[in-house]
Amino acid sequence: MNTGDSLQKKNNLTGWAFISLAVIGIVAFYFYPMLQALLLSFKSGVGANLEFTGLDNYKRLFIDTTFRTAVSNTFLYLIIQVPVMIILGLFISVLLNDSTLRFRSFFRTAIFLPCVTSLVAYSVVFKYLFSADGMVNQFLMNLHVIAEPIQWITDPFWAKITIIIAVTWRWTGYNMIFYLSSLQNIDQSIYEAARIDGANAFTQFFKITVPLLKPIILFTSITSTIGTLQIFDEIMNITKGGPGNATMSISQYIYNLSFKYSPDFGYAATVSYSIVLMIIVLSIIQFKVAGDKNG
Amino acid sequence: MWVLMLVTVLLLSACSSGGGGNTASEGEKASNEITIWAWDPSFNIAALNTAKEAYAKDHPDLKINIVENAQDSIIQKLNTGLNSGTTNGLPNIVLIEDYRAQSFLNAYPDAFKDLSSIINASDFADYKLGPTSFDGKQYGVPFDSGVTGFYYRTDLLEEAGYKAEDLQDITWDDYIQIGKDVKAKTGKDSLTLDPNDLGLIRMMIQSAGKWYSAEDGKTPDLAGNEALKEAFITYKKMMDANIVKLNSDWSQFVSAFNNGDVYSVPTGNWITPSIRQEASQSGKWAVAPLPKMAGQANSVHASNLGGSSFYVMNNVAGADEAADFLSKTFGSDEQLYQDLLNKIGAIGTYKPAAEGEAFEQADDYFGGQKIFADFAKWTQEIPSVNYGVNTYAIEDILVVEMQNFLNGKAIDDVLADAQKQAEAQLN
Repeated sequence: MNTGDSLQKKNNLTGWAFISLAVIGIVAFYFYPMLQALLLSFKSGVGANLEFTGLDNYKRLFIDTTFRTAVSNTFLYLIIQVPVMIILGLFISVLLNDSTLRFRSFFRTAIFLPCVTSLVAYSVVFKYLFSADGMVNQFLMNLHVIAEPIQWITDPFWAKITIIIAVTWRWTGYNMIFYLSSLQNIDQSIYEAARIDGANAFTQFFKITVPLLKPIILFTSITSTIGTLQIFDEIMNITKGGPGNATMSISQYIYNLSFKYSPDFGYAATVSYSIVLMIIVLSIIQFKVAGDKNG
Repeated sequence: MWVLMLVTVLLLSACSSGGGGNTASEGEKASNEITIWAWDPSFNIAALNTAKEAYAKDHPDLKINIVENAQDSIIQKLNTGLNSGTTNGLPNIVLIEDYRAQSFLNAYPDAFKDLSSIINASDFADYKLGPTSFDGKQYGVPFDSGVTGFYYRTDLLEEAGYKAEDLQDITWDDYIQIGKDVKAKTGKDSLTLDPNDLGLIRMMIQSAGKWYSAEDGKTPDLAGNEALKEAFITYKKMMDANIVKLNSDWSQFVSAFNNGDVYSVPTGNWITPSIRQEASQSGKWAVAPLPKMAGQANSVHASNLGGSSFYVMNNVAGADEAADFLSKTFGSDEQLYQDLLNKIGAIGTYKPAAEGEAFEQADDYFGGQKIFADFAKWTQEIPSVNYGVNTYAIEDILVVEMQNFLNGKAIDDVLADAQKQAEAQLN
């Protein structure tokens, strides 16, 4: 054993000592519960009377029509929500990045502000805005757009629309901030050169802005996907999943299985793991489709 | 790295099992302080405060903490606490809705204290004993009655050409007919409903002695359930008659009758304080017996909606003191029940207290009607059913099928599909 080796060893130990607290924390509060939840997903029964039932819970997923409804609702939000949020965020950020625009910081703040409001508080406000005698209906009726109040919350179709509007309002500004910050990093001389070559605003947007923002678009689309797959607060507070499961999301189904019905934590854990699986699969697809070769 | 992980996991599991062991013995210890969880400040919390005052006269040493929690959060905390095996942070006494009681008693058999020797179960309304007992033992102290009534606006009814006598002994079909007339004459809807809440269906089927599940409390009873079928058809008739104002939560529900948008509220008697909120409608309300189902021979003019009971946690220090508190107050104190009526308007289910001056009081808000005497009478007629362990799980299935039914799916298919789904999902 030479001195170099022991120094190396000492360095290693110091390194481990530094990160050990964090490692213990992560193991105790992330890995251990994850492992426990995985074990739990193979058990079944009411409340504390759990027993191992093998893959029964996973088989139940495939015949469970409520689960199917929850998954298809969640994916509907995903398919509409994520593109709308990303395109809107991109569009607004490019507008607000224009240095000739006045009151830029006012608009930026206004659009980002929804992201700092509490999820529950804004959901409750939306619930009242969109209730049958709410402001939205009164506004539309005063403008003679509609003759009868729209049942925003109690009609299966409109309830979905209400959720989508609410989530878009809450999260668009969040994505916008990412785009704005990376737009600042694009060298203005690129646009200058493009203008000299005769490229109009559209060409500049699609040929310069979007490609240069690609990594950040990928990042926001993955975070938005994960966020949408876990959507809970809005649905719990605006529609409670109704009418008739029309807006139920997977997370809300997990809540119902654990707390609304006779508690079946085993099956709830199984449904939770199905979300984990979906997020992994979707993230891989997004990386493959949008990512760089080495991304 | 792996060693570290292993050590941590072992350490943690040691911690959790150690914790469980400690708390198990805590229940035996005496305590001079007990904690109670309930959810409604103007109703069950107020009732507990009244009981606390009454108990303090003879037992000044026991400190009683009454904590308000939302009902949903009580359920969450109980479930997570009991499931993790630790009773830290759980109360001594907890209020549980009757529809959920069997599910808790079933899921956590040793968590609740057997109160068979503490109270006399036969002193309470019969229909309360099903939900509050388990395996032949009495676990709950029955509290409020969810006895239902048909609250209506006398002024609007008169405008439509009806008198109070016309509302005695009617069926739900008569109710719909009256509703149509009221709408034609006054433009008011009959009632307000939340499409996510099938409380109306529950009231109807219990009035015929039926529930979503069979007698055993587990087997779903949907496909061949004639009462449920008629309830579904009646619900659709109401929707088709265009006499229903939809709401999506409690505050919209209350504002619908406080604003005068609907002329009637068929629901549990706990709605009385909310109806009274609107002082300008004083003297214009009355309560008739609940309509019954035309096609069900055994349907009566009395039913139940909601209602809750008190339970004592076994493994929390102070269990005996908590049981004593319940036995001396809600379990036996007749005067307390009179006070509850006078102060809060809460109707209990303790039989020996079902008479007395508080019941005989004429209520000016309800045009001088002795509403408590009426409710007390109807309480005794409520058919007893077993709510079982799956009320809310089955109701979520039915809510979906109700939407399908309203959109034109045949009733027999609706109930057959619901039955199939319930059998597949419930264990």
